[in-house]
Amino acid sequence: MVDKVLALKKKHTIAVAWAQDINTVGAIGKAVNDGFVSAIMIGKSGEIKNVCSKKGIDHTKFRIIDIDDEAEAAAEAVKLAKNGTADIVMKGLVGTDKFLKAVMEKESGLMTPGAVLSYVCAVEVPSYHKLLFITDPAVIPFPDLDQKVAMANYAVEMATKFGIEKPVVALIGASEKPSRHFQYSVDYPEMCRMSEKGLIKNCIMDGPLDLFLACDKESVEIKGVNTPVGGNADILLFPSLESCNPFYKSLMLFAQGELAGLIRGTEKPVIVMSRSESEKSKYYCIALACLMT
Amino acid sequence: MVLKTLADLKNIVAGGPKKKLVLATAQDQQSLSAVVRAWKDNIIEPILIGDKESIQNICAANNYDISGLRIIHESGVEMAVEMAVKMVNNNEGDILMKGKVGSSTLLKCILNKEWGLRTGNLLSHFALFEVDTYPKVIAVTDVAMNIAPNLRDKIAIINNSVNCLIRLGYTMPKVAVLGAVEMVNENMGATLDAALLSKMNQRDQIKNCIIDGPLAFDNAVSLESAKHKGIRSEVAGDTDLLLMPDIEVGNVLYKSLVFFAKAKVASVILGARVPIVLTSRSDSEQAKYDSILLSAAASK
Repeated sequence: MVDKVLALKKKHTIAVAWAQDINTVGAIGKAVNDGFVSAIMIGKSGEIKNVCSKKGIDHTKFRIIDIDDEAEAAAEAVKLAKNGTADIVMKGLVGTDKFLKAVMEKESGLMTPGAVLSYVCAVEVPSYHKLLFITDPAVIPFPDLDQKVAMANYAVEMATKFGIEKPVVALIGASEKPSRHFQYSVDYPEMCRMSEKGLIKNCIMDGPLDLFLACDKESVEIKGVNTPVGGNADILLFPSLESCNPFYKSLMLFAQGELAGLIRGTEKPVIVMSRSESEKSKYYCIALACLMT
Repeated sequence: MVLKTLADLKNIVAGGPKKKLVLATAQDQQSLSAVVRAWKDNIIEPILIGDKESIQNICAANNYDISGLRIIHESGVEMAVEMAVKMVNNNEGDILMKGKVGSSTLLKCILNKEWGLRTGNLLSHFALFEVDTYPKVIAVTDVAMNIAPNLRDKIAIINNSVNCLIRLGYTMPKVAVLGAVEMVNENMGATLDAALLSKMNQRDQIKNCIIDGPLAFDNAVSLESAKHKGIRSEVAGDTDLLLMPDIEVGNVLYKSLVFFAKAKVASVILGARVPIVLTSRSDSEQAKYDSILLSAAASK
């Protein structure tokens, strides 16, 4: 991914809200050194400089805007993106709710009018033969049909940016058999029809499928299920936040996964990562945001 | 005591009385392989019910030495299952295992009012996972049986699982009730149930365990994650049992652990008169063997 970003030979400006966070500063510092971003750090300038010196990073490489209020820092970052000064907005130490409030503000915010706000991540996991794109582990608790369609489109768009021409989308359920117990049994066949008719473009889609049929060719053979996904999914779309969230966390904690994720549905890429996320993950997110601008 | 690995199950059952395992419709290569191995290891005393000729052919083809093993001939699948269940009902078996028969056929017999194996408890699925990246075995319930358990069902599922863990040697196992978030959120029913279960545990309405929830997956299994979020919890990062909100979540997590995290797994159905080994075709032979060990350890 980073190679792809470097190949763009383009420098993006990133505005970081409440930037005095050690992992964020580290990640931004590395991205600046690698030459694909320039950074505007917003927050308490004294603290930002302190964190920089702790990390051994020269703070003069960044533009620093001194603001001593969390919410104002978030609003400032969003404003810079809105007026074109910045290409990407990133959450630093500010709470997610305050940060998203600034992003979703009707007049001054960054929402694409009418768009669904959702989250897509790219995960690299040693036990899978390629990158996996998963949605939605963070924003929509129980997506309805329209929201699922938007999630699919966002994921396809991201996979396409990674050079995957016709990504394979698996719509994940507890089993491959539709059942009246699960809402997705109604939505998934509908989505497959939409995909066939070109209403969801540039992908191969099937579901419901369980995780084995989506990702494990051997299971597909044993079960003898005829599906174009065939254990070779690029994208996993989950029926709920409840199932997607523990799934991605199990990859991170138990399967040595590395992840980069982005909010979708905004005019410009918005990076929201948990404060506890590692420097490496934050760095990957920055690269991903550059790829998606 | 807590289990570090699934191999520890063997220490629990070693030297104890051999449990009688009834294999219903035994003409199934994978099941026979696991059953014969457990028999040779002196863990169980199998009774094979099914088509005798098929059973003998499979064993001959795979070099399973079954001389001295009790085989009851019944070529009809449903008849074989019924016979197996009736034997257990009649106290002639300590463990029931599914062979070459659909789960629904077996469950129908188990739930039969006259000669089935009901106890008044809810039946629930209980699985033990061994993952390299977690310092001990983690139990997960219910990933396969109950589709959308309500609060009362969840209490029954916890009780089934905690009783089983106690039989395996645990005292006061730590139970994490899983949510997508660790905050109680009125829009997510699972987090409301989790909060209620925690409080019911504090008030001794659910005993012999320590329950906390909602906990997101990372808080449940990683102390570091919990600390980052400032969560004060006896359970966080030290979970013995993870309660799933529903089968949709449980199924995904189970398959993620097996496929992506390369977990070893053993599973059993609890809540009937005896433990029931009900593994699926996609389970490995090792998983079937470990499930027999688990059932032997869980049986009275």
